[in-house]
Amino acid sequence: MKSSQVTIENVSKRFGDFVALNNTSLTISKGGFYSLLGPSGCGKTTLLRIIGGFEMPSEGAVYFDGVNVLPLPPNKRHVNTIFQSYALFPHLTVFENVAFPLRLKKVANAEIKRAVEENLALVKMETESKKYPRQLSGGQKQRIAIARALINQPQVLLLDEPLSALDAKLRQHMLLELDAIHDKVGITFIYVTHDQAEALSVSDQVCVLNKGQIQQIGTPAEIYESPANEFVARFIGETNYIRGKVVAVTDAENAVFESPEYGKFNIWLDKKVQLGSSVALTVRPEKIRIAPGKPSNLPPDVNVLRGTVEDMIYTGFQTKYFVRVNGAKEPLIVFRQHVQYFMDEKPINWKDEVSVWWDTKDSFMVEVN
Amino acid sequence: MSKPGKFSLGVFLLVTLFLHIPLVILFISSFNSSKSMRWEGFSLKWYHELFYNSQPLWHSFYNSIIIAISSAVTATIIGSLGAIGLCWYNFKMKKAIQTLTFFPIILPEIIIGVSILIFFNKIGLNLSLLTVFLAHVTFNIPFVLMTVMARLEEFDFSIVEAAYDLGASELDMLLRILLPIAMPGIIAGLLLAVTLSLEDFVITFFVAGPGSSTLPLHIFSMIRFGVSPALNALSVVIIVGTALLAWSTKNLYSSLLKR
Amino acid sequence: MRKNYGPIYVAPIAFWLIAFLSVPLLITLSYSFMEKGLYGGVELKFSLAAYKSLLNTAVLKVLLNTIVIAVASTAIMVALALPTAYYIARSPVKNLLLMLIIIPFWTNFLIRIYAWIAILGSNGLLNSFLISTGLLDEHIQFLYNRYAIILVIIYTTIPFAIFPLYSTIEKFDFSLIEAAMDLGASKFRALWLVMIPNIRSGITTAILFTFIPTFGNFAVPQLVGGTDSWMLGNLIVRELNITRNWPLASSISVVLTSVTMIGVLFFMRSQSKKEL
Repeated sequence: MKSSQVTIENVSKRFGDFVALNNTSLTISKGGFYSLLGPSGCGKTTLLRIIGGFEMPSEGAVYFDGVNVLPLPPNKRHVNTIFQSYALFPHLTVFENVAFPLRLKKVANAEIKRAVEENLALVKMETESKKYPRQLSGGQKQRIAIARALINQPQVLLLDEPLSALDAKLRQHMLLELDAIHDKVGITFIYVTHDQAEALSVSDQVCVLNKGQIQQIGTPAEIYESPANEFVARFIGETNYIRGKVVAVTDAENAVFESPEYGKFNIWLDKKVQLGSSVALTVRPEKIRIAPGKPSNLPPDVNVLRGTVEDMIYTGFQTKYFVRVNGAKEPLIVFRQHVQYFMDEKPINWKDEVSVWWDTKDSFMVEVN
Repeated sequence: MSKPGKFSLGVFLLVTLFLHIPLVILFISSFNSSKSMRWEGFSLKWYHELFYNSQPLWHSFYNSIIIAISSAVTATIIGSLGAIGLCWYNFKMKKAIQTLTFFPIILPEIIIGVSILIFFNKIGLNLSLLTVFLAHVTFNIPFVLMTVMARLEEFDFSIVEAAYDLGASELDMLLRILLPIAMPGIIAGLLLAVTLSLEDFVITFFVAGPGSSTLPLHIFSMIRFGVSPALNALSVVIIVGTALLAWSTKNLYSSLLKR
Repeated sequence: MRKNYGPIYVAPIAFWLIAFLSVPLLITLSYSFMEKGLYGGVELKFSLAAYKSLLNTAVLKVLLNTIVIAVASTAIMVALALPTAYYIARSPVKNLLLMLIIIPFWTNFLIRIYAWIAILGSNGLLNSFLISTGLLDEHIQFLYNRYAIILVIIYTTIPFAIFPLYSTIEKFDFSLIEAAMDLGASKFRALWLVMIPNIRSGITTAILFTFIPTFGNFAVPQLVGGTDSWMLGNLIVRELNITRNWPLASSISVVLTSVTMIGVLFFMRSQSKKEL
């Protein structure tokens, strides 16, 4: 199928005094799987509804392949939407739901039959065509909504939290299916979600939004490994967050960071900072290693801290430790994966004295407001 | 779970007997050959009188049917469109219109009857079947509106957006989506309107003119005239008729919902 | 973006209700402030005469009688409906019991009034029975008084108390009663202290739905009431059709509407308080 590049240019949306979206610009490449990620009320759904034609922006423009689509109603935009509630027509069978757009266009019956069967096969629902929506499970309704949205051969498919009504296991499964369907049809998918795991696992680009403002645009790895600011760092995954200052720049790549709580570290300059400016250092819990006592054979180029295990949560595949360094306000969070059962590591218990360390290249700097 | 006690059972039985005994008495009396309430033997003569010697009664019944059907259909069209507009669209004055629709439900019937009579008098409209029709449509509209809205509220607005998104025009939307899903509500509203119209006495009392008397008005004048055993027979016929109607519409309705 | 078709859908209903409801109500309101015409209708002159004649003792007596009847009937109906609705809601055959309450209402409202005339009238069943058993020597009239009005109003209106109470009790979580009893309350105290506060919205609805039609009733007092047990509705009809004092009929209607509106506003306030 044909797909479109979607360009959002300086789009703002206000509802009365409330600013839902503030001067937003972004480009979604042809055939991409693009996620709009953020907490509820961040403006992601508003942006989706503007692209879909359900809302007019207060300012700005939306282009599909360079053509401004704002003057066009939803049905003239070559874009279709999967709604959070699926929005299947309750009085029509699965077949007729999918056939609905073609019936409106007065397409010949034989052609309708062919197209509907093809689309039902795409979502593996060809055997359920005579059922009514209320006879379907959540996952099945989801598939029908996809088949129906694709039958007009849109160039862009908008998905508004499509998995939020499904249970966790089914969500995983549908996510893979969505990915497979995306690969098959090759059109641009714009996916709205508040679930970072969903966004990270399927998208090739993620745009993180908060309070109507774009926070960061990047690949899932960039968003996770190098968050642009505190909001992104805290919203995506768990992290340790250490405030302090850059007190010395060693060379082009390395610097010395000092925290009032933890003392001095060597850090890797992942971005340019002014000497003496306040920054925060964030370290993901899985990047931190932990060992009882004072291990002697630590690798070079690591930062080491010593503390006490304050609490621990065993979750099967890993244990989450809360390690309090003397004088720190918050404990550090450390994940340890259980790669080998019993054999690999000395057990660490509550109240044990431990050392924690991480590679200087594994922390990243975040601006502090 | 704790069971309801003897006290509530007692009150329930008392209320149920209180509601049923008078009608049982009417039922028995309708077969009494005597004109008085004293039993003097089984007879069908009151039914005979009802069916063969009650021309004015049947004329008023005919009026009632005409009014019930015409006013119910009109109120159903107006009320259903209103329900679609009020349920699924936003516009200026929406709140004001919604408030207005509550008035016929909360105002005592006599107020509606009096004011609409004064209005007809003011605009110089003579009382006739037409004025009865206009009044009945007015009090029926909110009931149809409520019934249809209750049905529409079961569905999410995203259905409307999905239909637009898939290329439906406003007319497609109305004919292919809104009316089909509202249909059980529309039919229930229509039946309710027919019932309310057939049943109405107070408002009709004010707006009916000579020759436009409905069945309830006729019954009213019969009662004022004194006890007539033909009324006993009529009440039995009404109960049986309503029961048959309720039974058949219930079947129709449940088959509609199952679709 | 598409055109907003909402106004087109609501245009007919708005037009109809403004033409045949708002305008008539406003005309009636304005008539209450005018002078009465010679043969019915009004003179287009501002006057408070209609409101002054409301203060007439005869009118006040009718108002008082209306209030007494409405309050008494409402109180009795709610008192009877509460245990009835409770019993139905707790029964395993709820729908069947509900049908038992509904079936009598399948017959015409006037026939239901008539049934009591047939029972209580001077030639009615009760008289025949009492005379044939020798308890009574001659026919006496049980009708045409305040008690007959209250009885028949209850008979014709009680389902409007039962249904709203039933639907709130049916939704009430009865494990709360068990919890209260587990904490040491007797069953009666548990119901009184735990269930009643939780079904308050049903109780207010029941009161409203029975009080409004009772307060504005006209058919029942017309058929089973006497001249000394008139209600406001009878007065309106007399002023409208017989005395033809339309401003007075309008002003009584305004009073009746005001009382109803005050009731509805109280109701809405109590409902919105509950949501807080």
